[in-house]
Amino acid sequence: MWAHNAMLQPIIRHQQSRGMATLKAISIRLKSVKNIQKITQSMKMVSAAKYARAERELRQAKPYGEGSTVFYEKIKPEEKQESTPSGQKLLVAVTSDRGLCGAVHTTVARQIRNELNEAGDNVKVICIGDKSRAILQRLYGKNIVLVCNEVGRKPPTFLDAARIAEQISQYEFSSGKIVYNRFKSVVSYVTSELPLYHKDTVSTSPNITAYDSLDDSVVQSYLEFSLASMLFYTLKEGACSEQSSRMTAMDNASKNAGEMIDKLTLTFNRTRQAVITRELIEIISGASAL
Amino acid sequence: MSFWRAVGLNYIQFSNIAAKMVRRSLKKEFQVEALKRDESSVKFTTWKEGKPEKISSKA
Repeated sequence: MWAHNAMLQPIIRHQQSRGMATLKAISIRLKSVKNIQKITQSMKMVSAAKYARAERELRQAKPYGEGSTVFYEKIKPEEKQESTPSGQKLLVAVTSDRGLCGAVHTTVARQIRNELNEAGDNVKVICIGDKSRAILQRLYGKNIVLVCNEVGRKPPTFLDAARIAEQISQYEFSSGKIVYNRFKSVVSYVTSELPLYHKDTVSTSPNITAYDSLDDSVVQSYLEFSLASMLFYTLKEGACSEQSSRMTAMDNASKNAGEMIDKLTLTFNRTRQAVITRELIEIISGASAL
Repeated sequence: MSFWRAVGLNYIQFSNIAAKMVRRSLKKEFQVEALKRDESSVKFTTWKEGKPEKISSKA
């Protein structure tokens, strides 16, 4: 019996020390998950406040986007690939610098990637926000011509949009697209696009006569303005969907952390009980062996 | 051709200057709110051949 016990002893000691260690490990893990939950909860609160503001501002910015969209729908410009010598396409990805907001940036980047896979080399990409740049730079870095960052820390202003528009207008393009997330409701957004046209495409489009007294300079001025206002609108839409998506993402994260905390507390208590029971057994069997 | 285009401004620049003037001539109580809309923090980096070229900050 003694020999048997001696053989068992090191194993028991080993087990016991491991049991203690897991107890400690679990409590450390529990603490860190609790901290994470605190962080995600407060991030949710912050983005909820930011979302409320973004939605209010989006409502004011909507006419800017709708005005130019209706104009393009009315005149029905025909895309002629060969008419302009450069034939360049321009894609503008409207994202922001900040992550932890679900798939908002990824869906925009994916749409751009699909476009790039189809169209090939003759496409220039302008990334608004570091996130789209980070996703696209590895495979399509050669297509990127301009990156705008410091977007998304503060709500976008019209001056932001105007400055981006100014930079964009430096590049020659025959047609283009702005890819952005359109806000639908608190829980959903759609990745959509707005068209961009070259001045010649607009002034030679069949239905342009619907508008009275248009000369070249008016069309040019309007295109400059509509580029800025569409960017402003898309930035607002993007910011609003980002905040709402971050809100849901952080809500989910807090919920998941809560689940983890429940499970960990259960295992923690079980392990503690097991350790206590084992110690009691050892003491009792030790006492009875005397 | 309008006078501002002859100088080399485009419509956005022209209207931004006009907006700035309007904001500056507002009464004090409205000016504080309006000046908040006159900020822009966006930075631009031009890219070439998959590498950032140079950092051109505020224009």
